[in-house]
Amino acid sequence: MTTLLGLEFFKIRRKSIGTMMLLVLFVEMMWAFMSISRSIARNPDHAGWETVLYSISSMNGLFMPIITAIVVSRICDMEHKGSTWKMLVATDVSRSRLYAAKFICANALLLGVTVVQVVLMIFFGLVKELPGGPPVEWLLRFAGGTLLTTLAVTALQQWISLAVHNQAFALCLGMLGGFIGMTAGLFPAAARRLLIWSYYMDLSPVAYRYAESSGDYFVQPAAFGLAAAAVAIAVLLYNAGRFHVTRQEI
Amino acid sequence: MGLIEMSASPIVQTVNLSKTYGAVHCVNKVDLLVQEGEIYGFLGPNGAGKTTTLKMLLGLMKPTEGTIRMFGQNLSKHRSAILKRTGSLIESPSYYGHLTGLENMKIMQRLRDVPDANVNEALRIVRLENHKNKKAEQYSLGMKQRLGIAMALVAFPKLLILDEPTNGLDPAGIGEIRELIKSLPSRYGMTILLSSHLLSEIEQIATTVGIISEGKLTYQGSMEKLKISSRTAICLKTGDNSKAERFLLTQGFSPLGSGDRLEFDLVDDVVVAEMNRMLVEHGIPVIRIEEQKKSLEDFFLERTGKGRSL
Repeated sequence: MTTLLGLEFFKIRRKSIGTMMLLVLFVEMMWAFMSISRSIARNPDHAGWETVLYSISSMNGLFMPIITAIVVSRICDMEHKGSTWKMLVATDVSRSRLYAAKFICANALLLGVTVVQVVLMIFFGLVKELPGGPPVEWLLRFAGGTLLTTLAVTALQQWISLAVHNQAFALCLGMLGGFIGMTAGLFPAAARRLLIWSYYMDLSPVAYRYAESSGDYFVQPAAFGLAAAAVAIAVLLYNAGRFHVTRQEI
Repeated sequence: MGLIEMSASPIVQTVNLSKTYGAVHCVNKVDLLVQEGEIYGFLGPNGAGKTTTLKMLLGLMKPTEGTIRMFGQNLSKHRSAILKRTGSLIESPSYYGHLTGLENMKIMQRLRDVPDANVNEALRIVRLENHKNKKAEQYSLGMKQRLGIAMALVAFPKLLILDEPTNGLDPAGIGEIRELIKSLPSRYGMTILLSSHLLSEIEQIATTVGIISEGKLTYQGSMEKLKISSRTAICLKTGDNSKAERFLLTQGFSPLGSGDRLEFDLVDDVVVAEMNRMLVEHGIPVIRIEEQKKSLEDFFLERTGKGRSL
């Protein structure tokens, strides 16, 4: 398994995955920070860490599914392009282990994205001199929620990327996920539970409460039930994908 | 079907190997027998079931029926041990186009857990050592094919399964690959199972032949036997074939066939010259004398019972 995981990282060299991730992340963070800066300028009451955490969480609903689709697609597509599945399987590589190696590799890269987000959020907060020090607990909850949601989204994307050779399909799903993630707040709560992309906001430590023409940010309690649901969906999608892909004839 | 004799330890042995999709029999009760050190030519037209059979041998497809034994072990029970001793190139070569030839080899090296020396040796054998730092997607088709063979060779397996290894190559490339394959059993003690739809290829490389048509193995035997069974005939075209046939019959020459040409089972040049002299002296002009060798293709068409293109 260690060999396969090491090989996954070896195989993605020159695939420009890092550049693509950084580009999308740059757009997301620039957009978010400009939006937060304007919000603080208009309403100094919003000058808090809650604003930063909520904004990035909601932006993640749009951007993380797209970044995930790109990363997973790049990792999986190389096996289709070079017809390497048959070579690997004929070399006694377990398809289940290969599937797991790809999943771990993709999530390790996406965890890197989340870590960079946290670092940039702290940097932004310090530059803007937001009251209090960086809220470690909230930031950890943010990172944890993002990671759990990403696990489920990755499981779905990997299934599609490996089962369907044409990666346009997987990338379209990523964009659709981004659209759902962005508009998640408009869906009824019950519907949101089924749409994994909405979990970026639902697992955020900060939420937004509308009150007539204005609203305010508030810290929501840790949603262990939702976290468990995200894990359950990730496990379900991962196993369904693995079962399907490893049984396909080559 | 001419079956070759069973030896104590066949490298590959299938019994009733079948693969069906609905009512379509892609492979139908194939009993393949590949002995150690052989270059087994698996011959058949496109769509005959060659690749499907080879894929089943590598565990890429599950047989609908039948058993596969390789190195004396059952594939379904000892897949891992068998594949460790088997190298393969199925259909088109597999490679990571964005990686260099050497990096592709490194992947196989780590999967096979073999030393650097093997990588260098395999690249040297296929003469890619000077192109190893070039991206595989920039390789020509022949180079990709050679890279595929090098990747199959990296662990210097006991059995090498090559599916149409000369596909898409130019004549020079075909010759190069052919010589390479022919050298492997003696140099590295390998057994080669090679599929092709090109009869001339198999004729030049293989020591044993299996002919498959519409999923059925219609012939299996040594190339030597096959060559003996193909025969050489002399064809005569004269100014009056009927008159020539009647005359030659009186002289003790019985044609195998007649029509546009008279066909004789002769190989001796002196006898042919004598026949020519007699015909000319009898006033029958001899227009053409040709030697016609019954090729493997003719044999194949006889075996499959149809004159379809390969």
